Amino acid sequence: MSVVDILFRVDTICHKYEKYDIDKQRELNAYGDDIFARLYAAVENAIQTALNVPFFPLFSSVSVAFLLLLLHIHVFISMQKSEAALTENNRAAGAALNAEVRRTKGRLMDEIPKLRKLANKKVKGLTKEDIAVRQDLVLALPERIEAIPDGITGIQTAGWSSNSSQPQIKFDSEGQLDSDYFQQSEESSQFRQEYEMRRMKQDEGLDIISEGLDTLKNLASDMNEELDRQVPLMDEIDAKVDRAAADVRNTNVRLKKTLTEIRSSRNFCIDIILLCVLLGIVMYLYNALK
Amino acid sequence: MAASDPNKLISKADKLTRLSLTRWNADWKSATVLYEQAANGFRVARDYVNAKIAYEKASKGQEMLASPWDAAKHLESAAALAKDLSNWQEVGDFYRRASELYMECGRPQPASDALAKGARALEDSMSEEAIQLYTDACTILEDDGREQMAFDLYRAATNVYIKLEKYTDAASFMLRLGLAADKCNASNSQCKAYLSAIIIYLYAHDFKQAQQCYNDCYQIDAFVRSDQNRCASKLLAAYSDGDVEEIKRIAQSSTISNLDHVIIRLARKLPTGDVSALKSDNAEDEEQPLDEDDLT
Repeated sequence: MSVVDILFRVDTICHKYEKYDIDKQRELNAYGDDIFARLYAAVENAIQTALNVPFFPLFSSVSVAFLLLLLHIHVFISMQKSEAALTENNRAAGAALNAEVRRTKGRLMDEIPKLRKLANKKVKGLTKEDIAVRQDLVLALPERIEAIPDGITGIQTAGWSSNSSQPQIKFDSEGQLDSDYFQQSEESSQFRQEYEMRRMKQDEGLDIISEGLDTLKNLASDMNEELDRQVPLMDEIDAKVDRAAADVRNTNVRLKKTLTEIRSSRNFCIDIILLCVLLGIVMYLYNALK
Repeated sequence: MAASDPNKLISKADKLTRLSLTRWNADWKSATVLYEQAANGFRVARDYVNAKIAYEKASKGQEMLASPWDAAKHLESAAALAKDLSNWQEVGDFYRRASELYMECGRPQPASDALAKGARALEDSMSEEAIQLYTDACTILEDDGREQMAFDLYRAATNVYIKLEKYTDAASFMLRLGLAADKCNASNSQCKAYLSAIIIYLYAHDFKQAQQCYNDCYQIDAFVRSDQNRCASKLLAAYSDGDVEEIKRIAQSSTISNLDHVIIRLARKLPTGDVSALKSDNAEDEEQPLDEDDLT
């Protein structure tokens, strides 16, 4: 049996016995009809994965214990995104992680208006105080989201707090502008090489794209000219077909008139009467000759 | 009707049309019908010579019946059969006569179509005649105001000229194409035509002419704004620098690959002759006026 088969079988079995999966059921049943609580929990989870900080929820007495368990699990299992970003040596990977965090923050900011609307809705089993608490929580969310460090804010707050806490930053340090100071470290020269390689690759790709676009442009303008050529022909065809249609209609009408005239009932009766007269004459002659 | 023997039909029809003591008026109507039937019969029997003759006679009959359209159609069929028989002179004559009849009907388009068909048939054997037919076809279309249809004919005529190695004529045809395209606002075809003309001049190793052509075309707005203009200027610059590699690279570019295939073949064969000679010529011309003592 191949690995793929095993994977498939495992997936099907898990799917079949989903109702016994405690974590999943807890998650699904935790809030029932309470949309606000569900959305809020989702936002909290997102903040957690971005922050990697333990968090204690303040609402929903029924599910506090379950939520705590869930969030602790998230804390241990989720990726340490912003911490990792701060400690990342490779600057490119660090920048990518910071960008990820910033994206998450943007998404969360978009969710806040929805939460605000939901917080005002009345749900059964909740007191007036609970609703007030929810509104406060929603108000507190934006500040918490902004506080997540993502490479920009971290450096800003650190820099503005106090200069003395950053002993590495110096200006015009005298006596240290010797030959070693401007020497390219291995890291930076590698970085530059990588940059040049990527740039070349991008240039090549762009060249290929530009050639394809040239062909497309040529095809498109040729098609344009061809269509321009066809337009007067189509107009002519249109006029000719109109004329032909009018002719056919005329002919049809005339034909119909002629046919009704020929097959009119009057002629039919005349035919029958004449036939009878002819038969009568034949009978008379027959009788006379007999 | 005796459809089985076309010969009998022909002789019967001939008898109807020959004037004699007993017959004072030729009966063209029935004769034409018989001729057509005979021609079909011959064609099915693959007797091309007789079929051609029968079509000719049928066409004459239709002319007598004052229906130039049918006459022209029969002549076209006769011409197609003459092509199969490699009777080139007759092919040309038939197609010309057919086109005249179409013009009589007042239908210039089928007229030019007939001439174009004739020209295509004669391309290999009687190229001069073919070119004449193409030119006449283009003139007919231009008179009718339908230059759009003439593009293909111009291109075909240019190809024939190039085959005959008459490069100046080819280039001038391309310029005529450009003019026709200008009238219909077909700027893409126009710019391609001008670029092709410049390439033809360069292939004929007539750099001055090419340069002059480029300067003329530069006056035209649509050309100046186009890709083809850039390509042409690069090509001429490469020529004046004598840079063979650059010329070859430009010839591989996509702008040139979008032209007519005959022109592409010419472009790939550039540069013909000695490009460095052009370079030294240009250099000499430039140094003379730079005389500092000359205060005029």
